[in-house]
Amino acid sequence: MHLLLVGISHRTAPVDLRERVDFHARGLPAALGALAQRGSARETAVLSTCNRAELYVACEHLDHARVELVRFLSEFHGVDGVELKPHIYESVDLDVAQHLFRVAAGLDSLVVGEPQILGQVKDAHAAAVTAKTAGPVLNRLFHFSFGAGKRVRAETALGSGAVSVSFAAVALARKIFGDLKGRSVLVVGAGEMGKLTALHMKSQGVHRVTIISRTMGHAARTAEAIGGASAAPWEELDDLLGTSDIVITATGAAAPILTKAHVETIMKPRRSRALFIIDIALPRDVEPAAGEIEQVFLYNIDDLQATVQENLARRGNEVARAEAIVAEEVAKFNLWLRSRGAIPTVVALRQRFEDIRKAELQRLDYRLPTDARARIDEVTRLIVEKLLLTPTEQLKALGATGDVEQLAASTETLTRLFDLAPAQPSTTEELERESSERVKPFPRPSTKTGR
Amino acid sequence: MEFGPLVVYLAAAVAYVWHFARRQRGVGRAATAALVAGVLWHTFVIGMQTMESGHVPMTNQSSLISTFVWLLGVAYFCTELASDERAMGAFIVPLMAALQSIPAFHPVAEERAAILQGPLFQVHVSSLLFAYASFALACMIGVTYVLLFKEIKAKHLGFFYARLPSLQVLDSMNQMAIVVGWIFLTIGMVSGVVWAGQAQVYAAGDSRVQSMSLADPKIFVALVCWGIYSFQVFAARRIGWGGRRSAYLSALGFAIVLLNLVPISYFLPGSHAF
Repeated sequence: MHLLLVGISHRTAPVDLRERVDFHARGLPAALGALAQRGSARETAVLSTCNRAELYVACEHLDHARVELVRFLSEFHGVDGVELKPHIYESVDLDVAQHLFRVAAGLDSLVVGEPQILGQVKDAHAAAVTAKTAGPVLNRLFHFSFGAGKRVRAETALGSGAVSVSFAAVALARKIFGDLKGRSVLVVGAGEMGKLTALHMKSQGVHRVTIISRTMGHAARTAEAIGGASAAPWEELDDLLGTSDIVITATGAAAPILTKAHVETIMKPRRSRALFIIDIALPRDVEPAAGEIEQVFLYNIDDLQATVQENLARRGNEVARAEAIVAEEVAKFNLWLRSRGAIPTVVALRQRFEDIRKAELQRLDYRLPTDARARIDEVTRLIVEKLLLTPTEQLKALGATGDVEQLAASTETLTRLFDLAPAQPSTTEELERESSERVKPFPRPSTKTGR
Repeated sequence: MEFGPLVVYLAAAVAYVWHFARRQRGVGRAATAALVAGVLWHTFVIGMQTMESGHVPMTNQSSLISTFVWLLGVAYFCTELASDERAMGAFIVPLMAALQSIPAFHPVAEERAAILQGPLFQVHVSSLLFAYASFALACMIGVTYVLLFKEIKAKHLGFFYARLPSLQVLDSMNQMAIVVGWIFLTIGMVSGVVWAGQAQVYAAGDSRVQSMSLADPKIFVALVCWGIYSFQVFAARRIGWGGRRSAYLSALGFAIVLLNLVPISYFLPGSHAF
């Protein structure tokens, strides 16, 4: 069984092509169904976001599946194969795992460390599970990728720090006030930038957003555009400054509208209640010296941009640590993948023992009362399972070490000793059952055999 | 006896600081596990001493500090459980380890002086210990507040910005710790005065009882502490001394508490030389 990935992403394809190869237009279930019908792969999953469209499959014949998947991409979306081909990348086996783990960790994203991608990977897996196209291999692959994504988020600062000015302002406000619910926001000036930042604050659930402008009409219009905000006349500026927690200034005034002395008089009755002023106007609306006042936090657009730059640089520094985590998780997945090499022999061995047990039971069968028969069936089944438990685990462990020659020698010996048929488990379900089966405690509901 | 917890606290302190710097989940869990192990071991040690002497070990400076460290450990662990926030451990647990080294290197056996019997004495010492543990928490929270405050003011959002809860949260945690500490400090001092009054009767000849007055260094410094914390609880916020100034005040208050707990006890014993 091989893993294969075929896809396009923001790294290889321009946006107009990505738009045409977006699976969301016709829905993931339709895509998964169409892909499964082609029969070139045992297990399939589709990861589709605005930056990537990727097919993950587990298959027996790589070359065949490779050709089929590319053809599927072009036929399903009606995109000319010749046009599509140069933008397609593919990976095989462990490289597939590495790619998916990097994607889930946000390492392959346009904005490195962005948080949405892990959810999208989870959605891709959920869709494949619902469509019943994911089997034991892809299930395990995706679960490992969730683990890798979570570890990178928890153990590195890859996703930390806002990377846009508006988010930087919101993040700062949260660092000063904690929860923003119940906080009041005052926007001075009715411009576009102020509106945008106010919208971000609003989405954080602030209690009140008030727009104030020298022209009441402008303020009212902006307040309406934000929705749930109110407008106030310019005369109320000082009162509103006194009762607000966050002030966004974005007027077109040529001279500062808030001087240090002005802010000092505002702060007096507030005692030690913090005031966060975001000055996004150019030229500036607030005298920089106002930031020296105790409990006044003054940030202008340049300050916010500087923190965004710092955050981006910090994310860059975390990439190496995140890559190391991905490599660790790939190694773990590799162990699991290798341990599956022993599975055909394990299945054959179990089948052999089971056949012998069944045959002997059959000979006893007609001489025994029903309840005794059930009892003996149960006991013999347990004996066989317990006898096989250690060899099974040893064989899987041998597979996990990756020592292919040793594994081959052992399976060869077993095959000869027990005269095993060269069993190939026919369905993936059987594999899954096989790899998760454990000896159950005695007694359990008996299964009757024979007549 | 006191060495075991010290070693585990040291390990926990290293793990907390490491977790704070590198934020590895496993290290954080190990830190908490080490702290719990240390506190449990410490509980056992204190329990043994209690069995031996018949009361909680707090009649001499070494055991007093040991009990204080234990209380601080319990208080911090509760805070961590409640807030799911390990950042503060990097500040508190090293302090615990440092203080625990005193009883570890200067163990003093518990004595059973007749003068120290009676419930009021127990109330006196345990309230004060609890108050001091709260003040220690408040101080460390105050320190982290100032560190974060400075980063935000300087517009350099770095190390602490990424790791600490918000200023508002730190400020209210600090305030709560101060209020709780102040209540217990008051109870401890009142019960101390009443107990001293009783002792004047049944142990009038004891020189230590005779020197229990405002001029005694330990009593005087405790009163200064009470003054500072009362100001912080009742007056500071009314005159705009919240936030950073409040944080500085809690650091100052705890510095004086420490002064009372360690150097004054060792070098100027006076009335409290038990």
